[in-house]
Amino acid sequence: MSNRSTSDPDSTLQPIKLLWKLMSGFRAYYGRAIFALFVFTLINYATPLVGSATLDSAFSKSAPESPLTRQLIAWMGGAEFIRNHLWFPALLMIGLTLLAGFFSFLKGRFAAMASDGIARKVKDQLYDHLQRLPAKYHDRAETGDLIQRCTSDVETLRMALSSQVVDISNALLLLISAVPIMFLLDARMALISFTLVGPIILYGYFYIGRVKHLFLEVDEAEGQVTRVVQENLTGLRVVRAFARQEFEMKKFAEPNKLYRDRSLRLLRLMSWYWSTSDLIVLAQQGLVLLSGAWFISQGSLTVGTLFAFIMFLNILLWPVRQMGRTLTDLGKSAVALTRMGEILSEPEESKPPGNCVPDGPAKGRIEVKDLVFSHGEETAAINGISFTVEPGQTLAILGPSGSGKSTLMHLLLRLYDYQSGSIQFDDRELKDLDRQWVRSQFSVVMQEPFLYSKTIGENIRLGREGAANEEIQEAARLADIHDTIRGFPSDYSTLVGERGVTLSGGQRQRVALARALLRETPVLLLDDALSAVDAETEATILQALRQRHGKRTTLVIAHRLSTLSHADRVVVLEHGKVIQQGTHEELVVQEGLYRRLWTIQNAVKAEVELSTGDQSPIHPISR
Amino acid sequence: MKEEAQEDVFSDRLDLKLWGRVFRHALPYRRLLIPLAISAVVIALCDASFALVTRWSVDSVVGKTEVNLWPPIAVYTGLTFMLAIGVWTFINSAGGLSNNMSHDIREECFKRLQELEFAYFDHRPTGWLISRLTSDCDKLARIIAWGSLDLLWAVCLVVVIAVILIVLHPVLGLLVLSVVPPLVVISAIFQKKLLLSSRETRKYNSMITAAFAEALQGLRTSKSLVREKQNLQEFQGLSSQMYGVSIQNAMQSAVYIPIVLTLGSIAAGIALWRGGVDVRSGGMSVGTLVAFIFYAGQFFNPINQIAQVLVNMQGAQAAGERVLSLLATTPGISDSDAVKARLTEWNRPGRPAELAIDGYPDKIEAIDFDHVDFAYTTGEPVLSGFNLTVSSGQTIALVGASGGGKSTIVNLAARFYEPTGGRILVNGQDLRDRSLDWYQSNLGIVLQGPHLFSGTIRENIRYGRLEATDEEVEAAARSVNADGFIRAMENGYETDVGEGGNRLSTGQKQLVSFARALLANPRIFIMDEATSSIDTETEQLIQNGLKAIFHGRISFVVAHRLSTIRTADRILVIEKGRILESGNHDDLMVAKGHYYLLYTRQFEAENEASLIDTLANG
Repeated sequence: MSNRSTSDPDSTLQPIKLLWKLMSGFRAYYGRAIFALFVFTLINYATPLVGSATLDSAFSKSAPESPLTRQLIAWMGGAEFIRNHLWFPALLMIGLTLLAGFFSFLKGRFAAMASDGIARKVKDQLYDHLQRLPAKYHDRAETGDLIQRCTSDVETLRMALSSQVVDISNALLLLISAVPIMFLLDARMALISFTLVGPIILYGYFYIGRVKHLFLEVDEAEGQVTRVVQENLTGLRVVRAFARQEFEMKKFAEPNKLYRDRSLRLLRLMSWYWSTSDLIVLAQQGLVLLSGAWFISQGSLTVGTLFAFIMFLNILLWPVRQMGRTLTDLGKSAVALTRMGEILSEPEESKPPGNCVPDGPAKGRIEVKDLVFSHGEETAAINGISFTVEPGQTLAILGPSGSGKSTLMHLLLRLYDYQSGSIQFDDRELKDLDRQWVRSQFSVVMQEPFLYSKTIGENIRLGREGAANEEIQEAARLADIHDTIRGFPSDYSTLVGERGVTLSGGQRQRVALARALLRETPVLLLDDALSAVDAETEATILQALRQRHGKRTTLVIAHRLSTLSHADRVVVLEHGKVIQQGTHEELVVQEGLYRRLWTIQNAVKAEVELSTGDQSPIHPISR
Repeated sequence: MKEEAQEDVFSDRLDLKLWGRVFRHALPYRRLLIPLAISAVVIALCDASFALVTRWSVDSVVGKTEVNLWPPIAVYTGLTFMLAIGVWTFINSAGGLSNNMSHDIREECFKRLQELEFAYFDHRPTGWLISRLTSDCDKLARIIAWGSLDLLWAVCLVVVIAVILIVLHPVLGLLVLSVVPPLVVISAIFQKKLLLSSRETRKYNSMITAAFAEALQGLRTSKSLVREKQNLQEFQGLSSQMYGVSIQNAMQSAVYIPIVLTLGSIAAGIALWRGGVDVRSGGMSVGTLVAFIFYAGQFFNPINQIAQVLVNMQGAQAAGERVLSLLATTPGISDSDAVKARLTEWNRPGRPAELAIDGYPDKIEAIDFDHVDFAYTTGEPVLSGFNLTVSSGQTIALVGASGGGKSTIVNLAARFYEPTGGRILVNGQDLRDRSLDWYQSNLGIVLQGPHLFSGTIRENIRYGRLEATDEEVEAAARSVNADGFIRAMENGYETDVGEGGNRLSTGQKQLVSFARALLANPRIFIMDEATSSIDTETEQLIQNGLKAIFHGRISFVVAHRLSTIRTADRILVIEKGRILESGNHDDLMVAKGHYYLLYTRQFEAENEASLIDTLANG
């Protein structure tokens, strides 16, 4: 299960504390549920008592010994009345059952409202909190693990709250309220009735505790089966390509057999548990029946009282038998709760003090000075970078992978906090500005952009809520994706993702670009945003962007020269440092990466000449 | 979520034929069916007998002077042990049956999946197929084993109690039994409601899981769009809908239980009233009355079980149909009867060495596409009237825009699909007249997304030829220049590659898959975009090994990289299922057509990329 759960001594207290906190607002429901359960239990016990009183007053020669029964007979109008009006106790029994049913309904209703309400609240809280956690946390955390904590762990908690807690309260209430009633009826019989109750509970608790790990083993074996099938299906082509079907069959047979055998082993152990615990329960019932019969023959017990005891045990014993098992299940819920608590206790993104939200939109000036940032490893991802972008200018950033380009973008978005140096945004230090405000001044397109499982139109609209359809289409046209979208089965209403169309990398990038363009923020960040788009389309898009040049500050990370050459200035990064910086004209005459890139087109020409013996220039790249 | 939508089918009618077919899978375990049936009946009889023992005990003490309780004690003890043994037997036989059945069905399904042609998988996502093999198989087996047991037990119990009641007191018996029909109807209605609403809950649950996954995957995007609030609002919409259906489900059972309890109590009330009158008039004993009251409350459980099993069968019918239809699907690409006949004749030891398992020559000298038509979906042809001849030793490079049909040609050459028109010939003979197994054993394929199986590197290479020695495995790795990186790893060839090979980089995985293909020593070698997703350095390594691979085989190469393309004997520019240009590199460059344009563009991009990479590495 969890590999992160803490093991300090007060860790058992923490889940209970957390649970108490989570229950706030729902405690009243629980109170009502338990009250309803209590009334239900009492009425449940009252029904056999009515039967018992009836039997004793109608068919018994001697008056019943038990004061409780005598009292009851008196309430019901006396033995004489009951004897002559047998429909009355019958109706009373039905009425009591109806009433019990009503309280059982109330119990179910309130318990569900409490447990489902808490589950909903926990889910909402987890979702909210996950969104507020810093990017640093998410870098470390495993998505699959987090999802499991937010879904199956919450479900485990819900089950615990809705059934296990109720079941255990039920069994406890049954036991507690049975004691006085039974002793009032007949002390000897009461003692006999409780002989095996302790062993029944303990047997369940310890037996299930012992075989608990087998449940996990079965799950694990099932997981292996799933893995082999999954691997086989994803590698289908490889299997066929080498005609390895028989080999795969053998590979599958093993976990399939293991799964079966483990299930059978667990089953055998459980069959012993269920049969023996049935045996104990039945022995308890037999003990009461036969010793009761004996007491009757001795004249010290009435048939009615025996009837009541048998009915009581019927009501009592089966929930009590379940209790041992339920208690072990509760252990699981504590683990689940701890795992959720770990997420909720992580600190959220920090908020700068004071006035951190400037009035009005930014102008878009960015000045980076001696910036240093490290993800925690030895070599800093960014190691003393300085540059300035004036409002409306385009800055291109060039460099090999791992040189710190994307990290720089993340720092600008305040996804991470830089360690030293400064980033001035419109003459204010970025660190002193509200993260959300900063982000609302930027539009970003990442290399592998994320689209939500909504329609394409909605995805673009995320750039600016309330944008008109015309504006969305305009943005899509600018990003050169409008015609593609038109070709989809439902136009702009086509769903993206599993349930709709699967977009190619280039299409995703263009949709994300449209989303970013719609945003109309002072700064646009393009993080290798057109890498999957073919050269011609890229040229069209850049052409369109250039027409808007001057409107907003733009930072472009790119690999292709064609992209870079549109920039006012170019910064070349390597190992987190700026190694070259200047305008296109300046860099072309400097020895270095930029110049070498620039001369590639000559190399292209030479290569082509070599193959064709032709002199004409091809595919020129020009500004 | 696609899967969920399919689970939602609820059949209104019980298809007994279908269940009969499912039940056939239980027949190998006939020996378990007998104890299963016996234990169900024994348990039902025991359950019904306890009230009789109570009656007996009461009647043997009430108004008697001579009391002998030993006979009831003995009978009670006997019943208790019989019941316990019955419970033990039924759990073991039903569980044994269910687990063995699901094991077998799963194995059959898996086997069938190995035989089915690719087209079957095109429209069935992996996740969907996995659920068929796991949850569907378990569900069916559980219903057959536990369901039939419950049904048998419940029906027996109800019948036995009914008989006892009528024998004890016909009039009162019939009166008490009158609550059974409404009990059946109400149980059936509620069980169905409960099944549907719990399904609804599961559906929302998987939507919530998807929402969490989306939140985590899109975290940076949401943060940069400052979408946190709207996201939360959307999520809250979802979680409150789930709350709604979950509460609905809870309410249904909260109403259901009191209703059936009240019905039981009405029966008990009738017994008490009418029976009480009879006891007073001396027509019935007190013990009988007590027994009647007990029996009145005992109907609920078995009838509830019957309703639940029937409803579950209705709910699982869709699963049954899916599994059975998978088992009933015949592979679209398989050996013809003529080929099968030849296989039985020739696939045996002592066959001349130059003959293959189907009795034809064991060699591949030429492959011809003869007016081949093909379409993945009817009405959308990818190839029409495609012709191509390749002979041994030749390397064919296929280039052109994506969606033009390059991969289709390769898939047809591998017989992963079959032409919808025209023929493919091997040595001038129709491919369909040769053994599929023989032909595909002659293939070596390297794909764009290299797929490795979990296990060691050695095991993965050996997948190419299972009987290869360690030396041969390593020799293959050396030929494709994979040996260097493998030896540099901590455990060398014994390094575990992780699930799907995820512990290796894409380039490393690709090198391993090249070694695997080479070890198979195939007569036909196919590379589908195999070098497009790897870095320049690995590409260089592979490039040096490719010559060795291409030598003496028929090779089909779908490629982006210029280096790979240039070495081909023939380059085909494919667009819209047709050959636009054909020739070697030099011819096509001079022609200055499509190839020329493609080449120059790619040249530029590759050079830029490698220049930036060089900077990174030094």
